[in-house]
Amino acid sequence: MGVTVVQNFPITENRTGPSTIELLTKRISALGAIQQGHFLVDCETYTSVPQLGNPRTVHILHNSEQPATVFSILETENKTIPLATDGLFDLLMIKMANFYTSKKQTKAESKGPRYEIGDFLVKLGTVTVSQNFKGVLVEVEYRPCVVPAMCWELMREFLQGFLGSTAQSAPPLYLQNRMQDIYSPIDTIHQYLEQFTIYRKAPGLRT
Amino acid sequence: MERDLDQLYTALNAIKVLRSNVGSVFETVSNGLRADHGEEGKENKFMLELQDVLTTVNNNLRDVETAAANLTPPPGPFNLGNTAYLSQETTQERQALYGQLVNSYKWTDKIREYSTLAGNILATNSFNKTYKTFSTTKRRKTQTSNHNVPPEVIENLITGIDRLFPDVTINATRPFVPNPVIQASLGRVLKAIIAFKGLMIEWVIVKAHSESSDLWTESRYKVFRKVTENCHAAMCHFYSPTMPDLAVRSFMHWFHSYNTLFSCSCKRCGNHLHSNLPPTWRDLRTLEPYHEECK
Ligand SMILES: [Zn+2]
Repeated sequence: MGVTVVQNFPITENRTGPSTIELLTKRISALGAIQQGHFLVDCETYTSVPQLGNPRTVHILHNSEQPATVFSILETENKTIPLATDGLFDLLMIKMANFYTSKKQTKAESKGPRYEIGDFLVKLGTVTVSQNFKGVLVEVEYRPCVVPAMCWELMREFLQGFLGSTAQSAPPLYLQNRMQDIYSPIDTIHQYLEQFTIYRKAPGLRT
Repeated sequence: MERDLDQLYTALNAIKVLRSNVGSVFETVSNGLRADHGEEGKENKFMLELQDVLTTVNNNLRDVETAAANLTPPPGPFNLGNTAYLSQETTQERQALYGQLVNSYKWTDKIREYSTLAGNILATNSFNKTYKTFSTTKRRKTQTSNHNVPPEVIENLITGIDRLFPDVTINATRPFVPNPVIQASLGRVLKAIIAFKGLMIEWVIVKAHSESSDLWTESRYKVFRKVTENCHAAMCHFYSPTMPDLAVRSFMHWFHSYNTLFSCSCKRCGNHLHSNLPPTWRDLRTLEPYHEECK
């Protein structure tokens, strides 16, 4: 697992979601990428019932790249606790339905084709929040490197070559404080959650 | 040898023909008179036929005799060494051994032949790993061997390298006592598994930290496969038969420059990526980073 950057690709006025994905597919294929299956990242958010005292939020995320793992991020007033567990955690959440309830309208997911190009992994995700199309997320992973600070410049060059001027010039907010740390799958989950939160708040399409 | 074999085959063939024709003599005799001899003078016809086959047998016998006369008898009994006892083996499972033995003999013989050829071809190439001189004017002092040195010497060299670079961590294992295999971790960038043969670097393979540390499977990442390739080139470049420890040190010095593998841009084109790879080459003298295509 290498350093991963997740960023929103703005959808311009005259384009739809599928045509934006098609445009990016054309670009990445022209660079020599080969499609290797599909991917899916989903997120469901649960909040604690009032009887439990201070409100707490649990985000449950799945990533097809780590199919046997359930990621959860627990947010309390002053702390964020990430947890990676096996598939049984989903069943545990069902058992706790009396204490943590999900807001059904918030189920967010990003899914689409997955490409390999050199040592890079590129995923073009169509984002939906409770079945409504919200935008396009691009995930780029540079697999050989595990320290964001070492390869950020290199990844930025790759992102620019493929997304043009819409590529972010600074690392994702979540990564900025963790540039010297060893990258792990939960960091990708955090980035997705960061993005999903923005999509959920956006009233319509995110541009 | 070749000619001997040919003659042997001719002789064996002659015997085969003889046997088959003797067979037909007996067949003719045992069949006796047949319907196709007709009624008139059938005895005569039979006699003529028998005479014919006997003449053929006679000719065949002559062939066998000439062929046998042409053979050179072996100088003495064949010395099969201990393998001769194999024929006396009674256990079922070991009876197949002789065949395997012959096969492996053929195999080694082929190896010898191919390696002689390869040796001739390589001899014309100047990349010699052994130091040798053909000067006949003066007997040189025997060179100290590079691949058969006391373990302490190698040990000292490795500890020396370990101290030289703070961001290189070295783990050594010794599957074969005088020839250690070390795993050199270069910061958080990569690791190299280096096999020594005495004081010579025999093999290098570069991988990601998360990959297995065996010497044989190559990395699944293109960038490390490329670096491995370049390490092999550098290993040959730095090799010096007279100063083997210096060669290892120079190699490690060069190898150390890969700590910027992902972070440095190419000295020539200024970019980080070329064909989706970072600059995987380091200049052997200046240690500057270059893309494979830019060096
Ligand atoms: Zn270059």
